[in-house]
Amino acid sequence: MRYLDNSATTQPCAAAVLAAHEMLTEGWLNPSAPYAGAVAVEKRVAASREAVARGLGVGAGEVFFTGSGTEADSLALLGSAERLHGPGRVLLFAGEHPAVLGAVDQLKAMGHQVRTVGATQDGLIDLPALSRMLHDGADLVSCMHVNNETGAVQPLAEVSGLIQKICPDALLHVDGVQGFLHVPLDLAATKVDLYAVSGHKVHGPKGVGALYVRSGVRLAPRVAGGGQEGGLRSGTENTAGIAAFAAAVSWAAAQEDAAARLRAMKLRLYERLQEGVRGLRVNGPAPDGSSAAPHILNVSFPGVKGEVMLHALEKEGVLVGTGAACSSKKRGMSAAFEAIAAPKWAADSAVRFSFGLMNSWEDADAAAEAALRCFARYRAFQRR
Amino acid sequence: MRDILLVRFGEVHLKGLNRPQFLRALTERVRHAARPFGGHVWLDDGRIYISDMDDARACAERVSQVFGIHSVSQAVEMGKDDFEAVLRQAVHMTRGMTGSFKVKARRADKRYPLDSPAICQLAGRRILEANQDLRVDVKHPEHVLEIEIRGNATLHIGRIEGVGGMPMGTNGKACLLLSGGIDSPVAGYMVARRGVTLMAVHFHSFPYTSERARAKVIELARILSRTCGRIELYIAPFTDIQMRVHEKCPGAYGTLIMRRQMMRVAERVARRRGGQAMVTGESIGQVASQTMEALGCTDDACGLSIFRPLIGFDKSEIIARAEAIGTFATSSLPYEDCCTVFMPRHPVTHPRLERVQEAELLLGDALEGLIEASAQGAERVVLCDGRIAEGGEQPQ
Repeated sequence: MRYLDNSATTQPCAAAVLAAHEMLTEGWLNPSAPYAGAVAVEKRVAASREAVARGLGVGAGEVFFTGSGTEADSLALLGSAERLHGPGRVLLFAGEHPAVLGAVDQLKAMGHQVRTVGATQDGLIDLPALSRMLHDGADLVSCMHVNNETGAVQPLAEVSGLIQKICPDALLHVDGVQGFLHVPLDLAATKVDLYAVSGHKVHGPKGVGALYVRSGVRLAPRVAGGGQEGGLRSGTENTAGIAAFAAAVSWAAAQEDAAARLRAMKLRLYERLQEGVRGLRVNGPAPDGSSAAPHILNVSFPGVKGEVMLHALEKEGVLVGTGAACSSKKRGMSAAFEAIAAPKWAADSAVRFSFGLMNSWEDADAAAEAALRCFARYRAFQRR
Repeated sequence: MRDILLVRFGEVHLKGLNRPQFLRALTERVRHAARPFGGHVWLDDGRIYISDMDDARACAERVSQVFGIHSVSQAVEMGKDDFEAVLRQAVHMTRGMTGSFKVKARRADKRYPLDSPAICQLAGRRILEANQDLRVDVKHPEHVLEIEIRGNATLHIGRIEGVGGMPMGTNGKACLLLSGGIDSPVAGYMVARRGVTLMAVHFHSFPYTSERARAKVIELARILSRTCGRIELYIAPFTDIQMRVHEKCPGAYGTLIMRRQMMRVAERVARRRGGQAMVTGESIGQVASQTMEALGCTDDACGLSIFRPLIGFDKSEIIARAEAIGTFATSSLPYEDCCTVFMPRHPVTHPRLERVQEAELLLGDALEGLIEASAQGAERVVLCDGRIAEGGEQPQ
């Protein structure tokens, strides 16, 4: 099997599996309990927090574990809005992931005012529009790091710069689920206030995520109770998930030149597809440009529906995505494709190849060959 | 004194010489439905009775879904000799009721000292004395307490309507074309309710339809099998035929010619498995392939009778029935967009059979081989009582 759907989820690395196994067989005591064995588990959670913090380039005291990336987004957006006095003004990037869109819908229902900042054709946030909206005032801005469908890397330094200049009190939340460990970002220097990440997108397990909360930023908890995670997220810690997440982060961070290797594999695939498919359309920024994430390539094969291509590739042993995995079961165009004003055919025919640290050059070649074969076979059968 | 269920059946009464056979089949199905509740089931004097079930309400609900059942009542059975005790029970069962009521008595045991009017009067008076919130209305009562005197006395109030129909397995076997949409499961249910054993054929067009679409159809057949009993589902590979039709035939006839091939494949699978007729969820004019002319063109390709129980139904009526039999939510899952590739933008709505036959000739001699390959290659999944039967999911 050639797995090229790493933006949907990634295969857990051996270190993560080992860490989870260890915690489930030996380190399963409740870290809040008073006996010595539990203290060891508590220490392991603390060490894990440090490891994830190192991956993020922040202090361990600024990292809070959650149950998923979605939950981290929710905690960031709803938790910060709850601290506002009265209805707040929220600016939202149009291409956000459903995790953020869902939380923002809840904000709307609570009476907060939400405005959407559009995207350019490349899928990047429209900075002049953002600037105009900031001048009208804002309390909270949400702009993702890397778009999960198009791979567009958002100009966060510019976004943050505009906020500092125009609305210095506004908080900046970044959904970093697709960018974490793939695209370098200095959270402190960029003045990002909140940054959400997920374990299973970086070769860790599902069921664990984390939120970076810049020290000094105050949030209200979404789940109250025993006061774990600094009171921000109660519930006995998912110790196995947390340890495995941390092991994966350490493992991924130690991969040398990972981003360069991912980019090279992606470009090899792209070049071969471009040679073999007339009219191939890239959805998002130019694959070799600096605003394209190293690991995501979203293209439309003219005349073949994305789902047909996906299943045809599946039969050839190549697994890819047609967009966000959580949205491929739904009809209609995703937010990311609407934001870049993609033509309907491009949205219908979009296929997302996403690479991970476990992929090889052979995967890229095999995927290219299989895609060209499938395209040749099914292009003839277009709707008339 | 004990709780029992009183089960009435409908049309079986009409069946002359076949009656014992129908009753046996029906009692067997009721016994099967009551088994999970530990009920003891017996047939006596034109009724089916169930005793010793551990959840009377749930058992009654389940039995009311058995094809051939007219209604089910939760009743109390007690000795008939102490009539005073019967009256006390009648008062007990009407305690807390308000509005109008009447007592209906039936004395099958003609040696019993009280006749039916006397039972009604005595019980009615006693109930009125005990409950000031009730009044008698013999024409349009809100509540009816029924007292029956047979070997024992039984008392019950109200009834759960059954689904009607005929006992399962008493009317042959038919082959349902199961698409994954809303209509075909309803059509299958309606035919099965007439005592017909179902088998089903689904057409799978990988990569145009996905594994999820396949799982959805298995799930629909599973839901149907909860009430319709054992269903053999055949999933026939159809991509090659579809691609050939798309390649060779005029687009406007595409859907129609495709449906004719579906009929041919399904008929072959059906005949080999003892199916005597086809069942589809078509309704006049719902889509282009369901105009009267188009239905005629489909009929022409099939040597078996085609039953279309939804033929005169509106979509809203079909949806209501799909909700009632529990298939609507699954049918509404959106996993089969891809087949639109093969859907012409402007299909003929009033096709002439000769033209369709001519266009079909363009498929050439290869057609026979493709149809046989599809019928032969069909994967068999057996669903029984809401479960995938063990070892059932395997090639034919």
